[in-house]
Amino acid sequence: MDLEKLYAARLHAARERPYLAAALFALHVVESPATPTMAVDRHWRCYVSPAFVDRRTVRDLAGVWVHEVSHLLRDHHGRGDAYAAEHGVDGPGERLRMNIAADAEINDDVYDTALPMPRDAVRPDSLGLRSGQVMEYYLRRFTLGARTQPFAWLDCGSGADGGARPWDLGPDGAHGLTKEERDAVRFRVAHGIAGAPGDAPDGWKRWAERVFHPPQPWRALLGNALRSAASAAGAGEDYTYRRPGRRATSLPGVVLPALRRSPPSVCVVVDTSGSVSDAELGSALLEVTAIGRALGGRRDLVTVMSCDARVATVGRLCRAEDIPLAGGGGTDMREGFAAALRRRPDVVVMLTDGQTPWPSVRPAARTVVGLFPRPSEEWVATPPWARVVRIG
Amino acid sequence: MRVMTRMRNGNQLDTAAELLSLLGDTDTEERRDAQLDALALAVAADLPVLLWGEPGIGKTAGLTQLAADLGLPLTTVIASVHEPSDFAGLPVVGDDPAVHGVPMAPPDWAVRLAAAGRGLLFLDELSTAPPAVQAALLRLVLERRVGALTLPPGVRIVAAANPRGSAADGWELSPPLANRFVHLQWTHDAAVVVRGLGGVWPRAVLPRLDRARLREAVAYARRAVQTFLTARPGLVHRMPGADQARGGAWPSPRSWDMALRLIAFGTAAGTSREVLSMLVRGAVGDGPGLELLAGLDRLDLPDPETLLADPVGTPLPERGDLRQAVLDGVISAVRDRPERERWDAAWSLLARAAETGPPDLVVVPATTLAALRREEWDVPALIDRLAGTVALSRRAVAA
Repeated sequence: MDLEKLYAARLHAARERPYLAAALFALHVVESPATPTMAVDRHWRCYVSPAFVDRRTVRDLAGVWVHEVSHLLRDHHGRGDAYAAEHGVDGPGERLRMNIAADAEINDDVYDTALPMPRDAVRPDSLGLRSGQVMEYYLRRFTLGARTQPFAWLDCGSGADGGARPWDLGPDGAHGLTKEERDAVRFRVAHGIAGAPGDAPDGWKRWAERVFHPPQPWRALLGNALRSAASAAGAGEDYTYRRPGRRATSLPGVVLPALRRSPPSVCVVVDTSGSVSDAELGSALLEVTAIGRALGGRRDLVTVMSCDARVATVGRLCRAEDIPLAGGGGTDMREGFAAALRRRPDVVVMLTDGQTPWPSVRPAARTVVGLFPRPSEEWVATPPWARVVRIG
Repeated sequence: MRVMTRMRNGNQLDTAAELLSLLGDTDTEERRDAQLDALALAVAADLPVLLWGEPGIGKTAGLTQLAADLGLPLTTVIASVHEPSDFAGLPVVGDDPAVHGVPMAPPDWAVRLAAAGRGLLFLDELSTAPPAVQAALLRLVLERRVGALTLPPGVRIVAAANPRGSAADGWELSPPLANRFVHLQWTHDAAVVVRGLGGVWPRAVLPRLDRARLREAVAYARRAVQTFLTARPGLVHRMPGADQARGGAWPSPRSWDMALRLIAFGTAAGTSREVLSMLVRGAVGDGPGLELLAGLDRLDLPDPETLLADPVGTPLPERGDLRQAVLDGVISAVRDRPERERWDAAWSLLARAAETGPPDLVVVPATTLAALRREEWDVPALIDRLAGTVALSRRAVAA
């Protein structure tokens, strides 16, 4: 194998993409005639076909180096396994789809004049989809067919989709990186990009921000906010001295607490002032009511009020979910707030896009605000006494 | 007639017992298990451990192995079936409460543990207990007190909780409490379980502390944490933000102290980087933990000055990215103190690197080193050994 050519290509790649240099040099080359082109495994070995090196120019090979290392940095094998587990699908065809989707995620900002895109590379538009998205997004939106026929030969190895390959040396082979070492390389690259983001493309900057601080899904955050608000003293299931415990009979003169349930009442105020779409509203509302129910709120303890004239979605949802719908006020959320507080709930949840004035004093109930995504300059600052979760 | 029936039933139960003993007849094989290693070290270090794991994946089995290995009796208490007074103590009214007060009597298991003076206490299902029970339990974990009784230092305590899923009934630990625990994620390995159901369960080989390395381990851990926090003072204390995973580990002076202790224990046991990573990330959180480990990697690399003193004999790391980091360090050292001997030593090191590993990562250091040349310095003869590298570099430029 023309190793010198392959290493010259890696050097070119490292010069053109200095922020990926550490990751490129961490790859260990394995000569592998069985591999169609170049492929990686999850242990950061790079299997190279000698014939492929002979066929391509140094510049083309440099592009392939960057492409393959991107699969590993972006953990496509782990994400492929997660997708397979989540959707209960697996097999060669499905793994090929993962490889294609992973390529589509990488290829929209890997290449430029110094590292030209191969003629046969997968691009989002060759799948008829928009660029700038992630592997999971593409996976849900295309099937194998005539459009993907040109990519049937595609094989970036087990590092790109998680499916085992016959040439893989496996976890016990030489020069493999352990999970810990892989994390360390990823971390170094991310740290380098975050420290000097000068010339890295936006896709890589976003990756560097998120790789070790993945954003929490809003459902989890909303759930946490609601739970901690509702499970505070005086709500939910806990011990109370309001009535003596059953053990107290054997201990005359001592008061023991007893387990009591006082289910929290949750009041949801929905901003339906036109700028919130029905889909956004529906998903958030369903989530909140489901959590309210799980907290032990009986049906009559979760109420929804809409704060505008346009109540189609809210009304439909409330009828479907059998939630009492209370009448709304104007477009000013303060009125909705005041109406909600008159019902003396434990928790008030506001679902709004934030373009509203807020009450100036802390209300008597704990407040959780679900904010729908808007360009940030349109937000009115949320009050400090509310726990804010950004939805979407 | 009745006698006959009893005979038959008795035989049935004997047969059932036989079948059960056949089912229980399993082999074990030695196997290293990183998460059990991490748990063993955290328990040895006497830090409060919180295991996060789904129900039914063998947390108790792991603890049983650990208890057997440490020679400690295991007491399991399932938190969700107890009342708060079981952990806070039951009030016992004496003759004159106003004079003597009301002592809080501990439950029998705590008395037995205290009498034995040693043991492993496992508090399971912390997350499904009502808040008042959790509060009483946390007092037990963090202050080692049950009612009026203080558990002796020979008792080690491990708690377990089910992770909050995206389900509506999840559980969250408040940041002040989360900060006091070493959080370990407990997962199962499908292959191991399948093999176990086939009759061969793994027997963990637990880490051993090496008496000869204790001093060295303490010095290493102190240097590691000190060097790191000097460079990143912002990480000494950082509360988890509103949109981050709450209820997990986060960095504070307290948790850094735990991390230091864990590094010392891991080093004294000569444990793998993977185990150390679990422990450190479990104490101070993922981001700061990974940064500290990256710092440890740098501490473990050969020192540039050592390499310049002996460029032929000092071993170079095998892995490309580490090798590149070492060469960069050497070139910086030469740039800081440019002397003829050091410059020559760096060249012979580069030549060695080009001959013993991928040549492409030698190019950039070689170019930088060449630029450091003074007028009166001759080009060393061994530059010919880098000819291949030069050719490679030309090909890359021509691309």
